[in-house]
Amino acid sequence: MSEPSFLSFRANAAGGATVPPSTSVSDAIIRIVDTSFRYSHDDTGAASDASSGTPTDTTAGTTAGMSLDPANVDATHPTEPALSHVDLTVRPGETVMLCGQSGCGKTTVTRLLNGLIPNFFHGPLTGTQVVCGLAPGGSDSAASIPIESYVPLVGSVFQNPKTQYFNADTTSELAFPCENVGMEPDAISTRVDDVAQRFNINHLLDRSVFKLSGGEKQRLAVAAATMLGPRVVVMDEPTSNLDASAMRDLHDMVAALKRDGVTVVIAEHRLAWCADLVDRYVRFADGAIVGTYTADEFSVLPAERLESWGLRALDLTPYRKALRQKMRSGSERTAEATRTEIDAPIIATQGLAVGYRRAFRRDIGDLTLSGGEIVGLMGHNGAGKSTLVRTLCGLQQPLAGRMLLHGKPARPAALTRAGFLVMQDVNYQLFADSAREELLLGLGDADDAIRRSVDVPDAAGAPQLHPTTLGEQADRVLDELDLLPFAERHPMSLSGGQKQRLAIASAIMCGKELIVLDEPTSGLDRAHMMQVGALLRRLADRGKAVLVVTHDEELAALWCDRIIDLDESLHKEAS
Amino acid sequence: MTRTIAARQDVRMTASARTAGLRLDPRAKLYLLLLANLLLFFHVDTRGEAIMVTLFLLPLFVAGRWRTGLRLTVLYFALLGLGLWSDAVTLTGTGSGSGGSLIGMMNGGTTGAGDATTTLATAGHVAGLLSVGIRMMMPCLITGAYAFTTTSISEFVCAMRRMRVPEAIVIPCMVVIRFFPTIAHDYRQIRNAMALRGIAAGRFALVRHPVQSLEFIIVPLLMNATFVSRDLSVAALTKGLGIAGEHTCMTVIRMRWFDWAFMAVCTVPMALSIGGVL
Repeated sequence: MSEPSFLSFRANAAGGATVPPSTSVSDAIIRIVDTSFRYSHDDTGAASDASSGTPTDTTAGTTAGMSLDPANVDATHPTEPALSHVDLTVRPGETVMLCGQSGCGKTTVTRLLNGLIPNFFHGPLTGTQVVCGLAPGGSDSAASIPIESYVPLVGSVFQNPKTQYFNADTTSELAFPCENVGMEPDAISTRVDDVAQRFNINHLLDRSVFKLSGGEKQRLAVAAATMLGPRVVVMDEPTSNLDASAMRDLHDMVAALKRDGVTVVIAEHRLAWCADLVDRYVRFADGAIVGTYTADEFSVLPAERLESWGLRALDLTPYRKALRQKMRSGSERTAEATRTEIDAPIIATQGLAVGYRRAFRRDIGDLTLSGGEIVGLMGHNGAGKSTLVRTLCGLQQPLAGRMLLHGKPARPAALTRAGFLVMQDVNYQLFADSAREELLLGLGDADDAIRRSVDVPDAAGAPQLHPTTLGEQADRVLDELDLLPFAERHPMSLSGGQKQRLAIASAIMCGKELIVLDEPTSGLDRAHMMQVGALLRRLADRGKAVLVVTHDEELAALWCDRIIDLDESLHKEAS
Repeated sequence: MTRTIAARQDVRMTASARTAGLRLDPRAKLYLLLLANLLLFFHVDTRGEAIMVTLFLLPLFVAGRWRTGLRLTVLYFALLGLGLWSDAVTLTGTGSGSGGSLIGMMNGGTTGAGDATTTLATAGHVAGLLSVGIRMMMPCLITGAYAFTTTSISEFVCAMRRMRVPEAIVIPCMVVIRFFPTIAHDYRQIRNAMALRGIAAGRFALVRHPVQSLEFIIVPLLMNATFVSRDLSVAALTKGLGIAGEHTCMTVIRMRWFDWAFMAVCTVPMALSIGGVL
């Protein structure tokens, strides 16, 4: 590690000042010139958005031109360059947004900035990268800067709130970077208090990290990233798991950083949450920069242009309006349901209260879920969405009230047989050695109720599962979800989106009627979000009741037939 | 300068004391863990063991872990009582020369003299076997529970570094401790997923098909562990875990008089028991 910068930082930190160490005289704080990078094979799993349940592949029949999807190329041909000839210069104090579709290279750029490339993610790297004056000593890549030198200069915030803290309690987590650079205990205490004050997170101190909400965890992550007074803060999709209010909190933290003159670089799909803070937008496609826009230039671009680039909307107003409309119709649902008697509800609740015996209780207004419709379930973190969903799937006993399955009161075990939950992290749900076996798993020995009815629409006559036709039926379901080419692949070798579809395929194979998806579009660009939406529609069209738990206002506005808003029912209760 | 440091530390100390009560130094905790293992190793007699366990339970209560402490206390003394009862029954019940031995019992069974005293003796044997087996693990469980519930990761790491443990051991230990809660969470998620798929969903499925069920649980668990460990390493690296040189700890780690005193108090009965005096 480079001892001088480390020591100078230490002196600053001990003095409680946020003055960064002096660097070589240069106007730019980040200068990336003609840089190309290619992940070596081992790291490709890390390179694509594998951890986030991200569909990085195409769903046929959704969007034209999707076969050229870079993410798809990335997933199947790991040797494609992640970056090619990228030039990027960032001035001190600037807030820069890196945008583009999944797999376009924006995450790779953030990894260049915090030194994870080439220190942790390996591969051939060419060009010059100077971050905060840290320049590799010559063209020799072996003389690259160790990641330790970046620690006091660049703070990093990552996508998944669950896996970026190391300590069990919040105060230790904040202290952790300071402890690692060897600050004195009293200086660390001062620093923790200062940072907590600065970001207004005093209430988060001295708590168990495991008990924080996703939004609180992400705020803690930003605070921890600024503990050493970095000059640059790099955020890689920080909002992909957050609700609207948590995004506002994050927005305020970025605003505070910007006020203090910290350079902020954000790689993000969601553009709306910090539109007022960003100075410059850099658009990536296929590992190259295809456009740079000032905030003014970007904000006058027509929404259709952003859509055609596969980007999320900059202005959510029209979506919010559509959402409010759907929420109203959602609450008027009972009247409507009696009017249209064609779709008998698959699941209905009466006076349901969900929660945990001691800790948490939430009364849910009566709701019905019918086949053929997509229902969005929204509400802030902690509103009880996941508890409700778990109860509907029979994974948890309701505290009060009852649930009707096809009009008859049902026990949790029956609900578990009828419902399926596609978890946010689908890795938990795949058990077999190949995609085809995944569908057949459990069907041979499960009790009859599970394999009762597989309703493959084009199957002649009453679809009855028989050991000899099981394989055919599995292939048909796979084909329908565009998974047939991957039938022999190990589920864990599939991309995030393929895994998601495989989990859904297994649900169809079991003859499930209610399919619940938990945040299926977190961390997805617009194109992939639309694919998920189209998939939901297909599920609904074959008579499933589809319930989507989501914070994604665009998904909800574009694809859901109606919205159940748990916050709203809460307000009603209060008034 | 030192004055202000001490003052600040006091502030922190009171903050942590508010939540967790008075705690021993991590090194003292490790020493207690070592003593508990020695207890098992040297097969100390019941009286010595009871004294040691009482001593081991004390810090739990002092640290404010009432619930855990009470639970463990009740469990230990229930097992102790059960063991003593089984001793009494098996010794007096059979009465014959073969004492309480299993062979004597079997003889009793085959010769058809299965009267009330023999069945009681059998029950006594089984209870004794179980209770002694579990009871002997209790000292380790108690000290382990104390060490893990009252030590933060950073304290533990700091203590290890003070003891000059090489980094190659410290960092894996840290990661393992970080992983425990993740595994519990993952396990619940996987069981849910299995229930939804109807895989090994029945009440006794885990018992009926242990190997198959284990595979269904272990594979996703490990898969997830690889993703989590990659993310954790990345996060830790960018926060400077790998920095060479001295790492400090915000919470002050210091051996104070009561750490030494308690270690001594625990060592004495141990030594006496092993020496056969007690």
